[in-house]
Amino acid sequence: MKITGYRVEQYLMKMDRLVGDANLPSGVEMLPGSILYLETDENITGISLGYGGGIDALFGAIEGADPREAVALWIRMNDWLHKAGNEGAASASLSAIDVALWDIKAKLADEPLWRTLGAREGRVRAYASGLDYCLSDEELFAFYRRMAEQGIDTGKLKVGLDVEADLRRLGIMREALSIASPRPGLMIDANEYWSPKQAVRYVRQLEEHFELIWVEEPARRWDYHGLRLVSQQVNAAVASGENLHNLAQVYPLIANRAVDVINVWTGQSGVTGLRQIAHMAHVHGLPVSMMNAQANYMAHIAAALPNHNMMEVVDPGREHCLKWDNHLEDGFIVLGDAPGFGIEVDEAKLKELQANPPTGRGKFPFPRREGAGRYIVPPPPGEVPWR
Amino acid sequence: MKVTGVKVTPYAFPPAGKPAGRHATSGSIVELMTDSGLTGIAIGADGAHTQIERLVGEMLVGADPRATSGLWRQMTDAQAAPNEGYASTTIAVLDVALWDLKSKANDEPLWKTLGGSRPRANAHGGGIAPTMSDHELVDWYRALSRDYGLRGATLVIGGDEDRDLARLEAMRTTLRQETTAATLIVDAEQRWAPDEAIRRLRTMERMFDVAWVEGATRSGDIPGLKQISDAIRGAVCVGRDLGTRAEFLPHFQDRSADVIELDIGVVGITGALELADAAYGFELPVTLAEAPGNIQAHLASVMPYFMSMEVVDPAARWPVFTSDVRIEAGWAIAGDAPGNGLAVDREALSAATRDGS
Repeated sequence: MKITGYRVEQYLMKMDRLVGDANLPSGVEMLPGSILYLETDENITGISLGYGGGIDALFGAIEGADPREAVALWIRMNDWLHKAGNEGAASASLSAIDVALWDIKAKLADEPLWRTLGAREGRVRAYASGLDYCLSDEELFAFYRRMAEQGIDTGKLKVGLDVEADLRRLGIMREALSIASPRPGLMIDANEYWSPKQAVRYVRQLEEHFELIWVEEPARRWDYHGLRLVSQQVNAAVASGENLHNLAQVYPLIANRAVDVINVWTGQSGVTGLRQIAHMAHVHGLPVSMMNAQANYMAHIAAALPNHNMMEVVDPGREHCLKWDNHLEDGFIVLGDAPGFGIEVDEAKLKELQANPPTGRGKFPFPRREGAGRYIVPPPPGEVPWR
Repeated sequence: MKVTGVKVTPYAFPPAGKPAGRHATSGSIVELMTDSGLTGIAIGADGAHTQIERLVGEMLVGADPRATSGLWRQMTDAQAAPNEGYASTTIAVLDVALWDLKSKANDEPLWKTLGGSRPRANAHGGGIAPTMSDHELVDWYRALSRDYGLRGATLVIGGDEDRDLARLEAMRTTLRQETTAATLIVDAEQRWAPDEAIRRLRTMERMFDVAWVEGATRSGDIPGLKQISDAIRGAVCVGRDLGTRAEFLPHFQDRSADVIELDIGVVGITGALELADAAYGFELPVTLAEAPGNIQAHLASVMPYFMSMEVVDPAARWPVFTSDVRIEAGWAIAGDAPGNGLAVDREALSAATRDGS
């Protein structure tokens, strides 16, 4: 079996609702999508969802190779990037290709990827994440209640700009989740809006009223001193890692005990790269948590990780041209037996999206907010519906 | 596909003609049976059949053997003394058999199921029994380097110092007849205290360029190993007798090891892959300890910082089974037979079982 070619399709989606965090609390509803199709000589195509443009530069490393040799091909691609480094656009391409290779590997074995990766069952605990700074109090309640109705008892709130409002909204999230558990799990995410000491002051104020499981990105992604300082000074665990792209970048966080939970996803150099990170965390006794994904496809990888705790579910409506084989049940993502990631592309819908791109408010990704890491710029009236 | 049971056949054969001290002269063939007719094969220690049968009955019967990662976790989580001693080697041998089944189910060699490319694994000669005469030693290293192209070899040291130095000289001279890149490895088998190790290794390093030292002091002595590493030029290699993540962790954190040695007979294939990824995070090279049939060659191409694997018998003279891994021009090369490539020689096994009982 040989890799023979590829194509990339890009399109634009309008999600069902706005999503936003401390950096852009007014939110966006437009999301660029891309699909990498990795083609083989055996009528099996690997599908990789995400932001993988710029495949050309790396395709030479894998052309003609057997896609089942995914890990060795990862090493080869990583070696190709020796001088420039597995960073930025190159890293996104490597990640996208690696995901497609694993999809092919599982499809050729005619089994779901969770089985290829050695999981005992295709079942992953989920937590709800609203990306909800742009939601009104009512919309916030509705989102977490809808999730609780599917058995999810843990939620992660976007915070960072207004202690009073965040306290109120933590209460709303807890109330909405309370039908799933008498003691819902509460988490917060500041998306690097604070300095470490701002984070300590802010989180400890919240902790006077709520017990928090973790605070995500309370300081910059690489600041292992700052992240460790926060971890030591608040009750909550510190989670980080989603904006780092390979094991070498995550290494200082693990080796210096800077974080308590590592956020993982395929953007960390693919299935192979995120697995390296999870394995290193595992040896250090640290759990990992899978990021949200279109059609929850990354649950396949999470199911086989030895130290995975729970996966983020956002469900903002990003599956316009996709068919998938998993569902939420009793608070778990339950994966089916369709081969590979179980993702199929509805080509007609994709063409339709490309021919008639939808329009809407804002577009991913958005920049860092003014004052980040130094001072708080609270949303003025009109920027968010909750002030 | 489901596991239905296990058959453990102990064997024993005389050690005659085995120059290497470490090579097992007894063991057991572990055959994990399934409802699909496929059998997973691994070679275990002698006398472990009670533990193996119990663990298979408790954990594996009825399970899908393709769930290598999940079953590994289930087996290690269930141990009261997690993954140490007998528990560790029992889990490891079953993990090897499960991976054999997983790749046989795919009808592909283990290296491909692991995601590897055709392994051409850098190999070195393993430790030699101190009981060998100097003459036998030279013959042995000559065979390794001339017939199999191995560029590196190991000498067990730690007894008489002058004898160690003389034998190391003999090893270097012999290897250099075949290669300009002779790699000298020494193994002190954890006999020394750190200060003695430093003194003896520094003396050795005045005359020899030692690549790495195994067993420089007790493997649990983290500060001692770190002290040795800081004092000598060569690398300190640790890991052969460590079974758990918790045992490896301080060596990573405190940099008391410069090379990590993994033994799939102790940490299994699943554990070895996890630990190799962690070692890669620390930029620590990985060496794979000897395994029956040299099947550790299958793992080389999926370990980002794989350095070398130990070969004790390049001629692959295992009396009761055959292997699909061959040693050629200094490389261990795995073939295309499905699974780990081990095949049981039934006739020899039944003879060895008779002789041993």
